[in-house]
Amino acid sequence: MKLAVAGKGGSGKTSISGTMARLLARDGRRVLAIDGDSNPNLALTLGIPHDRLTAMPTLPRDLLDRSGGGAVLTKTLDEIRASHSVEGPDGVTLLVMAHPQHAGTG
Amino acid sequence: MHATVRSVIEAAPGEDVCILDTEASPEHLSRGTARYADGLVAVVEPYFKSLETGRRMATLAQDLGLERVLLVANKVRDERDLAAVTEFAAQHRLELAGVVPFDERLPEAERAGVAPLDHDPDSPAVHAIGKLARQLAETP
Repeated sequence: MKLAVAGKGGSGKTSISGTMARLLARDGRRVLAIDGDSNPNLALTLGIPHDRLTAMPTLPRDLLDRSGGGAVLTKTLDEIRASHSVEGPDGVTLLVMAHPQHAGTG
Repeated sequence: MHATVRSVIEAAPGEDVCILDTEASPEHLSRGTARYADGLVAVVEPYFKSLETGRRMATLAQDLGLERVLLVANKVRDERDLAAVTEFAAQHRLELAGVVPFDERLPEAERAGVAPLDHDPDSPAVHAIGKLARQLAETP
């Protein structure tokens, strides 16, 4: 299941995303949570402390090879997990697109 | 960056759970970040501007070809709120997949800097979100 969660700012979409991710992981599912917001706070609703978030690498631009005209990942998902994710409570894997201080550059 | 996220979602195995918390604007969806998701959950609050944003997001997701486009109502306080959301969903032929009650425990958790689940795992909102998550994960 691959779900995108959307909504106006303040709608609670991030609380819902984070809590769904934690509870499904607790049920024994492998969960990948992606914070696609340029002002990210999914880590907080997953229960990942702020200092761990600022220390984690964001997804780099060179992960994508566009030389063939399309867009191909230059690493496997497992490699990306290993190098660019942080593991949160209940075993949720979090990938972030941007750090709060880079808001607007994503 | 949106293209990278799109490719990561595409690469995620379908038997796993992948949850993308999108940017709070319909523009993010129009860039196609969510294209490889199976579904879109549009979280709305029970007032017109929020419902209308949810509807625009749902339309964009349908245009992207997403299979399941669902509304989830959040911060629902009473029967009147519930009626407003139910009517809006019916009027626009959108599936209302879940209703999460207004719950003071969520803003409390945010102020305390902890996850809603760690702040109070038995709060009404956490219960409703759990029910929604399992329902979404179990429906093929």
